[in-house]
Amino acid sequence: MSETGPQDQPEDALVDLLIKQVTEGLSPAEQRALDALDSPSVTAASQEFERAAAAISLAGAAPLQAPPPALLARLEVQASSYAAAHPVAVHTAADGVGGRAPAAVVPLAVARPRRSSGSLGWLAAAACLVLAVIGWMRSPSPPLPPVAQVVPETPIVPPAPVEPPGPAEERTALLASPTALKLTLGATKDPAAAGVTGDVVWDPVTQKGFLRFAGLKSNDPSVMQYQIWIFDGERDKRYPIDGGVFDVPANAADIVIPIRAAVVVHKPAAFAVTAEKPGGVVVSDRAHVLVLGAAG
Amino acid sequence: MQSLSPSVLQRIASGEAAAVRECIAEYGALVWSLARRLSRTPADAEDATQEIFLDIWRSAARFDAAQGSDKVFIAMIARRRLIDRLRKTTSEPAMDPVEVLETVTWSDPGTASETSLEAEQAARALQELRPEQREVLELGLLHGLSQSEIAARLGIPLGTVKSFMRRGLIRVREYLNIDAEGVWSEG
Repeated sequence: MSETGPQDQPEDALVDLLIKQVTEGLSPAEQRALDALDSPSVTAASQEFERAAAAISLAGAAPLQAPPPALLARLEVQASSYAAAHPVAVHTAADGVGGRAPAAVVPLAVARPRRSSGSLGWLAAAACLVLAVIGWMRSPSPPLPPVAQVVPETPIVPPAPVEPPGPAEERTALLASPTALKLTLGATKDPAAAGVTGDVVWDPVTQKGFLRFAGLKSNDPSVMQYQIWIFDGERDKRYPIDGGVFDVPANAADIVIPIRAAVVVHKPAAFAVTAEKPGGVVVSDRAHVLVLGAAG
Repeated sequence: MQSLSPSVLQRIASGEAAAVRECIAEYGALVWSLARRLSRTPADAEDATQEIFLDIWRSAARFDAAQGSDKVFIAMIARRRLIDRLRKTTSEPAMDPVEVLETVTWSDPGTASETSLEAEQAARALQELRPEQREVLELGLLHGLSQSEIAARLGIPLGTVKSFMRRGLIRVREYLNIDAEGVWSEG
C-alpha cells in the first residue's frame, strides 16, 4: 500500500488521503491523523468521496451475478437468526450521521453533502495539520519542519502496537452479543474427563463460538487430539458437525478454544468433545466422549 | 426516486422479520457482484457477503430515501467492509501486475438509471474522462487494486495514478451534486 507523498498543494494531500480512505483504506498512522482533525468539513468531504466511489461501483457492477446456492442458504440461516434476535431496530437515523461507530457496525451517513466554498480555506489548513501529524508519526527523530510545531499543542501519542485479540478476549466480546447462547459443559464418566468443567458460547448469527475448559488433561498431538462436535437440531443427530480439533498444552489452566464449524449450524442443540486420533475424524466412534452440554 | 411504500431497508429498520430475508433477494446479486471483484478468493467473497448483510441489517435504520438511493447505501456499506477486509489480508501476496482481471462493462448513461440515479450520474461523468483516467478508476474502485499496484500494472508513476484518481472522483462528485433536473443541489 502506498503512503501519501509530497504534494504541490496541501489540500491535494488531504484530498488524496480522503480518496485513499475510500479506495484502499488508510494505514493506522494516516487514519489517526485524519481522525485527529475531528472536523465536520473533512467528514463531509469524506462522505462525498465515499458516495462517488459507491456510484462508480454501481456504474461498473453490471452484469450482476446471483450468489452461489450454498452462500444463499447460509444467508437465509443468518437472516432467520438475525430476525429472531432483532425484533426492533437497533439504530436510529440520528445515531451515526457523521460519526464513527465500532468496526463491527458500519456507520453510514448517505446524506448528500452540500458543497461549501467557504470550507476550502479550512481544508487547506486541515491538510497542513494532517501532513504534519503523519510526518511526526512516521519519523519522530529527525527535526520537524516549522509546520510541525503545531503538534505539541495537540499531542497525539502513538499507541503501542495493538495485538489482535486472543480467543479469551474474543469470547468475552461474543458474550456481549444479544444473540449469543451460553451453556455449561458437563464431564462424562470417561476417566479422562474427571474434574473437567467448561462452557460454550455460540452465536448463531455470526456462526462463531468458543469452548472454555478447566481441568482438561494435556495431550500429545502425535498420539491424540481433542475434537469438537456440534449437534444441529435440523440435521441427523448421528452425524454431528465437526467443530475442529485442538490440543491442550502442559500446565494449562483455563483454556479457550475457538469453534470452527465445518458447515452452517442451523439450530445448535448440543456440543461435545471427544478424544480422537491426530487430525480428528469425519465420524466419531464416540469411544471417548469427554464433555457434553445441551442447549435449552 | 422515493416511492410511497416503505423500502426493504425501512421495513428492516421497523423490525419486520420478513424484510430481512427479502433484503437478500433484492440486493444479493449486487452485494455478491461487488464482493467478488473486491475479494482475493471466492471463499473470501462469500465470507464478506455474509458480513456485509449483517452490516446492512444493523445499519438499515440509517437509510434515508430522501438523501440517496438504496443501492448507493448498500454499495457504501459493502465497499467499507470489503476495503477493511482487503487491508487485513496484508499477509496475502500483492496482486500480480499481469494478472488477468475480469472485463468491466461500464453502464451506458442512458440505461444506468435503471440501477440508480447515482449510477447514471457516475456513468455520465465517466464518459467525460480520458480512457486512461477511467482505467485507473476501474482498477482501483472495481478491482480493488491499491494505487501502488495500479502504478505497477500500468507502468505509470504513482503521482499520475493519484492525479487520475483525484480528477475522476472529483468529476463524479460534481455530477452527484446535480439533481435529476440538472440543478445543483446546494442553495
